Amino acid sequence: MSSADATAPRRSRSAAYLLALLAIVVLPYILTGSYWRTNLIVCALNVMLAIGLDFVLGYAGQLNLGQSAFYGIGAYASTLLMMRLGLPFWIAFAGAVALAGLAGIVLSLFAMRLRGHYLAIASLGFAVITYQVLLNWISLTQGPLGIYAIPPPPALALPGLPTIDFHDLAHLFHLVAAFALLSYFVLDQLVRSPIGETLAAIREDEVSAAALGINCAAWKVFAFGVGSAVAGAAGGFYAGFVGTLVPDAFFITESFTILAMVVVGGMGTLIGPVAGAILLTVLPELLRGIGDLRLVVYGAALTLVVLFMPGGLLQAARLAIPQRKRPEPAQ
Amino acid sequence: MTASAPASALQPALLRASRLSKSFGGVRAVHDISLEVPAGAVFAVIGPNGAGKSTLLNLLSGIFRPDTGTVAFGGADLTDVPAHRRVRHGIARTFQKIRLFRQLSAHENVVAGCHIHCAIPAWQYVVHGRAFARNHARCHDKATRLLAFMGLGARAHVAAGALAYGERRMLEIARALATAPRLLMLDEPAAGLNAGEVEALIDRLQTLRRDGLTILVVEHNMDLVMTIADRVLVIDYGQHLFEGPPAAVQAHPGVIAAYLGEAPP
Repeated sequence: MSSADATAPRRSRSAAYLLALLAIVVLPYILTGSYWRTNLIVCALNVMLAIGLDFVLGYAGQLNLGQSAFYGIGAYASTLLMMRLGLPFWIAFAGAVALAGLAGIVLSLFAMRLRGHYLAIASLGFAVITYQVLLNWISLTQGPLGIYAIPPPPALALPGLPTIDFHDLAHLFHLVAAFALLSYFVLDQLVRSPIGETLAAIREDEVSAAALGINCAAWKVFAFGVGSAVAGAAGGFYAGFVGTLVPDAFFITESFTILAMVVVGGMGTLIGPVAGAILLTVLPELLRGIGDLRLVVYGAALTLVVLFMPGGLLQAARLAIPQRKRPEPAQ
Repeated sequence: MTASAPASALQPALLRASRLSKSFGGVRAVHDISLEVPAGAVFAVIGPNGAGKSTLLNLLSGIFRPDTGTVAFGGADLTDVPAHRRVRHGIARTFQKIRLFRQLSAHENVVAGCHIHCAIPAWQYVVHGRAFARNHARCHDKATRLLAFMGLGARAHVAAGALAYGERRMLEIARALATAPRLLMLDEPAAGLNAGEVEALIDRLQTLRRDGLTILVVEHNMDLVMTIADRVLVIDYGQHLFEGPPAAVQAHPGVIAAYLGEAPP
């Protein structure tokens, strides 16, 4: 039975999720101090941004440079819904996820006929426009003055457990990382379903995907919607974490940083961008000692990866670690 | 199911195209072409290079919209139906210039063709349950069966881009068959194949037609056309030149002239 054969990898995947959960719980107690805990939270946010982009770029093959805009929309939407309309955090958060997803859908509808470089330019234009709106719609966003004193998510009182206060960075990391893991789980399940093959077919050749009955336009809208909703969730946590919102946090360079995380990690896999996000968050911190030279190192690393290791860190790992014999799928 | 009776005028046409025309700029690629493919028949379209055969196929499969004319399939008017929806009606096709998902394995290529008939509840895409597993097993078995049928059983896990040329042609047919078509349209399936591969292809197409599949084939290889076709349409400069059974085509002076370049009588 093929279902019996499918349980072995499923069991090892469950073990990996448990391990990841364990790591999330203990990490802020290994890397103590607010400096490291802050970095851990930034890692978790970047993981969400990177896997969200990878779903659009690595799986559906759409070169999207608008991820910074969806991040910003999520951050501003959650904050404004909370502070202007007085909505509770979690409702504002859900609204931010929905709004960012909707923005992704709208962008994909406008960009439907564009591919490759043209889509990249259109989505970059979207990121520029969003940034300018955040900067200049002063009555709504307070523009460059920024929004201050944004509270973290409200304390969580689970029955039978001590109240979890998210002013504590360790607990805030637990929350954000748990959401990153949940996003990973959802995306991983999607790409392991027929949707994964459908998106790959669109990435590889739209004409023959259509010849197999695949509605390329609809699936691209879907991919954009999901990818930007995940970025919106990251934005929803960003505001309460930093406590301050200024448009510069969502400048277009952020899109390129997220793109670099996906490419360096290895696009078209989900675990690759996770590694890329963590590496490109931690590496610049470690290189602070060499001042602005770290930007050179950063740029050189990216160039080298693109030139010599187009499969990213994941490809490097596969080369370094001798492959275990993969069992042939059941006949 | 066997539909061994030869195609006759009594059988209703499965595919009916009438008065199709398509121009690109000033070039009339297809001009006023009509055809009827009876259910269960093998219908061949031949003609010199640049005669408009591939354009005709693109009009039938929905990649291009005709300037004028209509396409009907199984009684439904498909003229304004986009390519991906025509597949759901039961029209599948291959391409003259092979278009596979090169980075995916042969098996994955075929599985990607199974998904239009996938009906699992939406939430099971995230929480994989029993219906998901059943569907997965169904696609897997179907792909394995189709690959074996097309002679690719041992190559299932090779990336499509790494397959030999002839294997790629066979894989494209396997992928098209995964959509469970009623009509299979093949654009020069024998191009680039050696004699042995053509023979194997003919065998497989005969098997498919015995199972009731209707086939429309655009082809240059006359062995293949003369062996399997019930009816042949000859086009030249985008226009209807002749239509009839294979034997009549071989004897027709206009066809010979079009191929050999003599002045028409």
